[in-house]
Amino acid sequence: MMKALGSSRLNRRRFLTASASLGIGTIAAPYVARADDPTLRITGWGGKWGEVMKAEIGPAFESEFKCKLQTDSAFPYLPKLQASSRSAPIYDVLHTNSNEQWAAAEMGLVEPKIDPKLVPNLADVYPYAISDKIVGVSIFTSAIGLGMRTDKGYSGVTSWKELWDAKYNGVRGGYVIPVNSLGQAFLMMCGTLFGKGQLDLDAAYAALEKLKPIKIVDFTGAMEKMLLSGEVGLCVIHDSGIYRYDGQNQPTDFVSPSEGVLSLEQVLTITPGSKMKELANAYVNYMLRPEVQKRLAETVWYSPANRKVKLDPKYDAKLLTTPEKVSKLIQVDWKWYNERKDEIDQRVNRIFRA
Amino acid sequence: MSSAAPQRPNGLALFILPSVLLFALFFFLPIGLMAVMSVLTGNPVVAPKVAFTTRHYARMFDDPYYLEVIWTTIRIGLVTTLVALAIGYPLAHWMARIKSRTGHALLLMAVLAPMLTGIVVRTFAWMTLLSDKGVINQTLISLGLISQPLKLMYTETGIVVGLVHIYVPFMVLTLTGVIGRIDEQLEQAAENLGASPLRAFIEVTLPLSLPGILAGSLLVFALAISAYVTPILLGGFQIMTLPILIYQQISANFNVGFAAALGIVLLMISLLLVIAYNRALGLVSGQRELQ
Repeated sequence: MMKALGSSRLNRRRFLTASASLGIGTIAAPYVARADDPTLRITGWGGKWGEVMKAEIGPAFESEFKCKLQTDSAFPYLPKLQASSRSAPIYDVLHTNSNEQWAAAEMGLVEPKIDPKLVPNLADVYPYAISDKIVGVSIFTSAIGLGMRTDKGYSGVTSWKELWDAKYNGVRGGYVIPVNSLGQAFLMMCGTLFGKGQLDLDAAYAALEKLKPIKIVDFTGAMEKMLLSGEVGLCVIHDSGIYRYDGQNQPTDFVSPSEGVLSLEQVLTITPGSKMKELANAYVNYMLRPEVQKRLAETVWYSPANRKVKLDPKYDAKLLTTPEKVSKLIQVDWKWYNERKDEIDQRVNRIFRA
Repeated sequence: MSSAAPQRPNGLALFILPSVLLFALFFFLPIGLMAVMSVLTGNPVVAPKVAFTTRHYARMFDDPYYLEVIWTTIRIGLVTTLVALAIGYPLAHWMARIKSRTGHALLLMAVLAPMLTGIVVRTFAWMTLLSDKGVINQTLISLGLISQPLKLMYTETGIVVGLVHIYVPFMVLTLTGVIGRIDEQLEQAAENLGASPLRAFIEVTLPLSLPGILAGSLLVFALAISAYVTPILLGGFQIMTLPILIYQQISANFNVGFAAALGIVLLMISLLLVIAYNRALGLVSGQRELQ
């Protein structure tokens, strides 16, 4: 005799099946519910930036624009974008430093400019953020200057040229110029310091030769660790790399050299093949909102690009938040630099080889 | 008149199919694509006008800098292999000949234990030892033996130290199997005929363990010349090797074609070594050529 269908008797097999279904359903529910939400694919940094984006800024954007943000924080981004199809790029919005944005624009991987009609907050940014030295828009900047240990008697550092002082032999820090924006910007600064200007490469090479011995790293995070451990005493670094340890009693300080600080811009661009143009522009506009800028600036110590941002006094005192302070920023001509990058890389690789 | 009987397909061959497909998809296809990219002016998938070029190879051989990088890579590989062999052979011999099962197990664990930790972690451990503010320099300075830190890191020696530590287990494990299969009675026979233990080792054990030496050396050399993390961290970017240069070309110069050409050269170096190994092994084992 066949067992009646729909019997309500609970046996072990049914219990396990029901439990498994319930478990899978619970895990999958949010994904199923949001399956139809449009997805904006962006790039972004890890660390504190990644934490605040994941916890606050990103979810708030998703909620307001009924979409999903998919962030790639596995650097380098440009080779991945380069390998993806132009008509279906891997990212809708590319966030990276200015030098890479210029390279991306030259390859036609990103749109060179942001439309102010689609991004109204563009009207409120400092001129540097949309200058002719910028592809897309710079949403934040850091000041590249000198980082120093305050417990080694290195007082009175006011100029970039102090880095060449023989007393820093063995504790001098710099970057792998071919792969690091700070290193590349510093090379251009060498031309200004010892030659006819940023474009004086011969003077820059000669200055770099005299900088040895120097400890070089590829990322600013590594330089921060070297400075904190005392492995280097005076180094090229951006202000955020020093200020982010504020309140931790670290014997380090940032020096804004009298010759000016270099600009390390955080730039957003939109890819030409993006199918989410409207959302991409909304994201750029959102990232320039004063409240978003304030939250991020006070988390990662980046200077906001929006003029209307009012930071708390502690941050306002150190970051570039007024036209006067911003005017000290020196921007690099990355288009010019990238056209000569192979030649520069070959030369500096030779200079710094052991 | 005889007709050839139709060959029945071996059912077991079907089991090899997944491996063949996997190998074709994840080994031959990427390498084939890399070879193609190395002789093109751009990426044909995304760029409309792409032409054949030899400029990536010409650039490599026109500029002595790249030849220096290739030689540095090979030199680091060779030194690492020789040091790993010098350290690994006695250890492998001991492991193969030890009578105690517990002793063998302990030795095996000692060899395998470092492999349970990631390469990055092990390299960072070496950095804490070798850096200017590291354990070695600080100890020597505190004892008054030196006034300035010794340059242990950012040198080829530092890289070789790190690589040897990572790759010695590969050498030991390869050699242990080969030495373990050598009949001990052969050594005893040599000694009974008047040879000293050293001579018995040199004339009997060593030649018979040559296939293991060659296999272990090939493995360590191939791993050492393609290493990326250790040369970068212990060399501090001041020692340029081919893998570092390849990464630089892809990540910062976005020159996939040149990076592919460098990759092909690295592959060619390894292939030449494999061919030389096969020939050497053929001679050692009395065959003209190994298939």
